Amino acid sequence: MPYNIAMFCDFFFPQPGGVESHIYQLSSKLIDRGHKVVIVTHAYAGRTGVRYLTNGLKVYHVPFFVIYRETSFPTVFSFFPIFRNIVIREQIEIVHGHGSLSSFCLEAILHARTMGLRTVFTDHSLFGFADAASILTNKLLKFILSDVDHVICVSHTCKENTVLRASLDPLMVSVIPNAVVAENFRPLSYTSRDPHHRSAPGPPQPLGPHDTITIVVISRLFYNKGTDLLIAAIPRILATHPNVRFIIAGSGPKAIDLEQTIERNVLQDRVSLLGPVRHEEVRDVMVQGQIYLHPSLTEAFGTVIVEAASCGLYVVCTRVGGIPEVLPSHMTEFAKPEEDDIVEATGRAIAKLREGKVRTELFHNQVKQMYSWTDVAQRTERVYDGISGVLSHDDFYQGAGAGGGWSATRGRAGIQSFALIERLKRYYGCGIWAGKLFCLCVIVDYLLYVLLEIFAPRSHIDIARNWPQKDLKAEKEKDMDSSKDGSGIGRKRSSRHRREK
Amino acid sequence: MLMNSPTSKTLTTFQPTSSTISFTVSTRPVPKTLPALLGFYLSILVRGLIGAFTLVILLLKSRAGFEQSTKALQWVFGLVFETWLVKTTETLQWRYLAPGALLMLWLVFRRGYTEESLTLLRGLGLQTSTSSSTYLRTPTTRFIPTTRIQDIFIHEAFKGFEVRFYLAIVVKDEKDVVVVFPTLRPRRAILEEVWRGARACLYGSGEKG
Repeated sequence: MPYNIAMFCDFFFPQPGGVESHIYQLSSKLIDRGHKVVIVTHAYAGRTGVRYLTNGLKVYHVPFFVIYRETSFPTVFSFFPIFRNIVIREQIEIVHGHGSLSSFCLEAILHARTMGLRTVFTDHSLFGFADAASILTNKLLKFILSDVDHVICVSHTCKENTVLRASLDPLMVSVIPNAVVAENFRPLSYTSRDPHHRSAPGPPQPLGPHDTITIVVISRLFYNKGTDLLIAAIPRILATHPNVRFIIAGSGPKAIDLEQTIERNVLQDRVSLLGPVRHEEVRDVMVQGQIYLHPSLTEAFGTVIVEAASCGLYVVCTRVGGIPEVLPSHMTEFAKPEEDDIVEATGRAIAKLREGKVRTELFHNQVKQMYSWTDVAQRTERVYDGISGVLSHDDFYQGAGAGGGWSATRGRAGIQSFALIERLKRYYGCGIWAGKLFCLCVIVDYLLYVLLEIFAPRSHIDIARNWPQKDLKAEKEKDMDSSKDGSGIGRKRSSRHRREK
Repeated sequence: MLMNSPTSKTLTTFQPTSSTISFTVSTRPVPKTLPALLGFYLSILVRGLIGAFTLVILLLKSRAGFEQSTKALQWVFGLVFETWLVKTTETLQWRYLAPGALLMLWLVFRRGYTEESLTLLRGLGLQTSTSSSTYLRTPTTRFIPTTRIQDIFIHEAFKGFEVRFYLAIVVKDEKDVVVVFPTLRPRRAILEEVWRGARACLYGSGEKG
């Protein structure tokens, strides 16, 4: 059944990044599956208002004040009128927020629950528990996620982290990894367009001891991306391995340090800095190398290493966060997030490549089989089905025991109740003082909603027209019926038929 | 503005020939019943009277300053009223009279509604117009010849705390689009009707979507 979904996130195009492309890919695949998706983000320079992307994906760039790294200013209630307007005019049923640092998304979830909408939250990042900023973020996250229908995490590590940070029931957290568009990340030698007519892979061609090995690094140059480690490791790697060069793409506050290191060690001819590259150009940069180095200090998923592997690069990465889950061990060389170990691991990787032990040319097809956005969209759709009550509680929470038995605030159908008093109960448990504060916030939010209903009545808001959908509805219907029986993803058609168009 | 203005906006289409069409969006209430019609004319009368009265007072005051005769007034109103009027005017001070009179005149000449229109002439161009806030000024108009019109479309934009539809015209060599009905911002249904009509008029029968 088609849903009207709104994705809320601070991070979206034109800014490049993993979350951004995740939202875009997921949205376009959901549209392909017959849903209606709009994306709401804050305004970027020169990009305010309503835009359409390919496939009728509508993007609202809400004019808002940006404080730090493209995160909008947390104005808890001022966003509500616009939020309500967008939700009503687009007839949104499910609000899907992305990224725990995005105040935009957290506010959207709060308002959505006030308006009686289903909410899903996707967490893309890992956080610590110790420093002040993390404690604050975690508290805020706990507040917002006290009343959310479902949470999606991009890796199991991320799930563990989120469950702990927001004190969630692990059952209401699903893991749906990111994916890559494998077609956009073909290795240089990939010629056979027809996957059925694949010639058997020939014998491995080891690199000679004097062939140049190029190490590619593509990352935003921020502290959390491990740029400091990279800066420390580059001179040592280059000193021990003569026929190695680096290509580094990306920009950020650490770029200046990197440049200084290169100049101090006179490595300009062996390290090329490309500056920021667009996402479309990432592949062209990647295929110039044989090894991809990813020294990140924290990473929930790390889409970029999948992209690198898909391009046929051997991946050297730190064993942090969700990275170990991402790729099978024969594609990666792991290191501890410290200088010595990274140098060592890179050395091992170079040696393996020289010996021809690694079949990088096979990576592309393997990655293609592992990750696809269609699969991600399908699994996300199942979450939507689950929270809307289309899937029964037992089906959705497999192995959760008796239906509805695990949470007192859940309704009979296993879905979160919208009653204000039920919601207050959930928020109250957040802490001695915080709980009361949160309850206050929720009540103010609710009153604001009532006021808005009076002073800006729904009847005065025009309903936006839908993008004309491709005529694959009939096709899809057939396709779904055939896949219904016996598929692991038991999608049930229920009596909830609305808006026959 | 948090909400849509509560006054209803009406669309009037006027098509004298097949190649000319004019769309007018207005907040002016159209009196239909007899009492409403009477009230409408009565209000015009009252406005006129108040206006005339204010002018007379102003005139009197200025004449009183110069001690000129008020014969003409005597002839119009009669002696008793004239003496009373002259006395009151003399007691009134300019500092109260001037702002009061200005307010009165402003109220009299104030236009109680806004009217915006789009007139299209096939092969010639189109003209947008927005009525002024008083009866004294002519409406603001803008004419765009056909050769400079690149496109006409409906889009959405953030306006205040909401997202509104608007009808816009892309003009060649201009950075910004020209928004039709910029002050009233009618709702989608009206805009779509205007858009269809405008396209049909500008590009013949090329009615798409």
